[in-house]
Amino acid sequence: MAPKKLRRARLSQELCERLSRYQITTCQDFLCLSLLDLMKVTGQSYRNVQKLLCKVSLACAPKMQTAYEMKVRRAVNPSSAFLSTSLHGLDKVLHGGVPCGSLTEITSPPGCGKTQFCIMMSVLATLPVSMGGLDGAVIYIDTESAFSAERLVEIAGNRFPAYFDSDEKLFSMTRSIYLYRELTCGSVLKRIKSLEEEIISKKVKLIIIDSVASVVRKEFDTKLQGNLTERSNFLARGASLLKYLAEEFSIPVILTNQITTWLSNGLAIQADLVSPADDLCLSEGASGGGKRESGSVTAALGNTWSHSVNTRLILQYHDLPTRQILVAKSPVAPFSAFFYTVEKSGFVLQDGKDQTNLTWEGTNPALQNIKMQQPVNAGQGMGALNPQNNRQVHHCAVHRATVNTRYKPCSTKTDEPYNELQNLLFLEHQN
Amino acid sequence: MQRDVGSLPLAPALRARLVAAGFQTAQELLDTGPCGLSKEIGISKEEALEALQVVRQECHSDATQTAGAPGTSRKCTALELLEQEQAQGFIITFCSALDNILGGGVQLTKITEICGEPGVGKTQLCMQLAVDVQIPECFGGLAGEAVFIDTEGSFMVDRVVDVATACVQHCQLIAEAHQEEDHLKALETFSLESILSHIYYFRCRDYIELLAQVYLLPDFLSEHSKVRLVVIDGIAFPFRHDFEDLSLRTRLLNGLAQQLIIIANDHKAAVVLTNQMTTRIGQSQSTLVPALGESWGHAATVRLIFHWDNNQRLATLYKSPSQKESTIPYHITVSALL
Repeated sequence: MAPKKLRRARLSQELCERLSRYQITTCQDFLCLSLLDLMKVTGQSYRNVQKLLCKVSLACAPKMQTAYEMKVRRAVNPSSAFLSTSLHGLDKVLHGGVPCGSLTEITSPPGCGKTQFCIMMSVLATLPVSMGGLDGAVIYIDTESAFSAERLVEIAGNRFPAYFDSDEKLFSMTRSIYLYRELTCGSVLKRIKSLEEEIISKKVKLIIIDSVASVVRKEFDTKLQGNLTERSNFLARGASLLKYLAEEFSIPVILTNQITTWLSNGLAIQADLVSPADDLCLSEGASGGGKRESGSVTAALGNTWSHSVNTRLILQYHDLPTRQILVAKSPVAPFSAFFYTVEKSGFVLQDGKDQTNLTWEGTNPALQNIKMQQPVNAGQGMGALNPQNNRQVHHCAVHRATVNTRYKPCSTKTDEPYNELQNLLFLEHQN
Repeated sequence: MQRDVGSLPLAPALRARLVAAGFQTAQELLDTGPCGLSKEIGISKEEALEALQVVRQECHSDATQTAGAPGTSRKCTALELLEQEQAQGFIITFCSALDNILGGGVQLTKITEICGEPGVGKTQLCMQLAVDVQIPECFGGLAGEAVFIDTEGSFMVDRVVDVATACVQHCQLIAEAHQEEDHLKALETFSLESILSHIYYFRCRDYIELLAQVYLLPDFLSEHSKVRLVVIDGIAFPFRHDFEDLSLRTRLLNGLAQQLIIIANDHKAAVVLTNQMTTRIGQSQSTLVPALGESWGHAATVRLIFHWDNNQRLATLYKSPSQKESTIPYHITVSALL
């Protein structure tokens, strides 16, 4: 993606040398100059300069394709266009599932199921094409240390018991999920830049970043001057790199986001979501439907980020244990809502009567109001929130700041990719 | 003939030499001839000949302009312009309220800008227009083709298929109701494949590719003379990050706007751009305004702003030389924008 050198644009050698004397070595520098400047530096007449411009533009311009060719390509290889989520209602509305070649964002309050969704999608991507998967590896960039290998195996075993009938199959699935732990914005960006080669060598078919918001909000305090623009720059650069990777290799990219409070008079403040106590006081404001002055809870990271992602799915609480998944922004789907619960096998959609309001009146995806968790009795504790799945909720509602201490990684070097799961399963096996 | 030597489009070094040698008008150059010129200036005869050819061409086109001949000149009376505008078609959007506030639809030879918050329907409208421009003339369309330049990657072929299928069905219904010969003939060529084959799609990943593509557009449009619509979906996205030098950005955007105006005029095409919204933080409140700054507001002739009012999508005509400012509600359905 580095700017193309003029030599490769088929300009004559002496012209390139002359231009390099003016520090114009790349096509980018050439095209940014005005015509008069170009006449001066090349020493050519107006018409010749126009011809040179065309030549350089030809070297940089994208290739044309007609919409028909695109459709034919999709029809020939239908599985390459979407990654099915194995949730039938959602797949139907999204015309197949999570689209390949674009960015999909999952936003929700803490503990609603973002990481669960990501883990489920990782399993699905490794499945063979005949079962709706992409038969490839997965790159999972984890910034919150929330990934749980045991949960991965549990979901796989319970969702597809017929396929994962032997340990060997489970191990080969876990071997193809590459986990990277990145804790700063700079390292995340560096990792994304290095992904191009990894994707080719490891035959990666899905990239997951869980979560973008946590690193960005840790490092950029938007109340300080200048940080807002720096944050937008970082996000925009990350988004364009990921879009390039997604389109170049035709793979889906899933990102997760957090929530923030949007005060009705306009300014969004960063909600401190590390401790549950703050969650509870935010939910009071949100339960009124966002019409009160206290404001409403919506997706974080601002307006520009909402422009950059192509699809936005919002998970929110309903009456526990049911939750709701909303399709808030999609180029192919209308606003839809589905109820689901989180079970041993991952997400399970509630069928039947609850799906009568499939299409509903949504609103601006950047300002869509999100329902928070209802406050619970302090004495009951976290485990009582979802009496059906105690262990699973424990993983969900774990503090973002604490590391999941039950599963210590074997390798202590954090900048090398390591296959945590393989090591962990090996440990379990030994015991 | 009396044109000053310093204003001729020759190479700067050559121009400097001519001025230094004392030549003042183009007529003097033409009278001297190539051999005399090469001796006086110290250039080769071939170079002198080339320079004289350039000068002759310039003077010739100047002469035709002063003589008032039609052709490349852009001068005409308001009456001629009125006749042209009335004969010109519009690109209908299938949303009658939107067509009304626009005065009939998206106008040719003008730049229309659509600003809006994320998810409000800008790309949907662009895809709709790319299909609508191809409607045959007997059904009230322009029978043109479309160029779609995508910078954000939000073009979904499946959605275009939905819109195109609905459009073809709509035309079939009209043909059945009216039962006219040319309707049925037009329907033979107006099918899903032909619609999709006439949408020329370019995916530009950064601003350099966008600049390069816009430089190459005039040649492309000369080859494909039936193109009546150029859509640039996301003119803001490549310019909103990685730009430390804001003055460079303004200059590039202005240059882009100029080229697009020339393209729109010369090829009788409509240019549609989509823009993002950004937050402007005021003293007590923040408002959403179109991105790319105030000076970009001058580039487009017609400006539409799409926004939300709770659950309803609204479109406001913000800037137009001929229509009144007004707001209308609209929906996005499976088949179209309504």
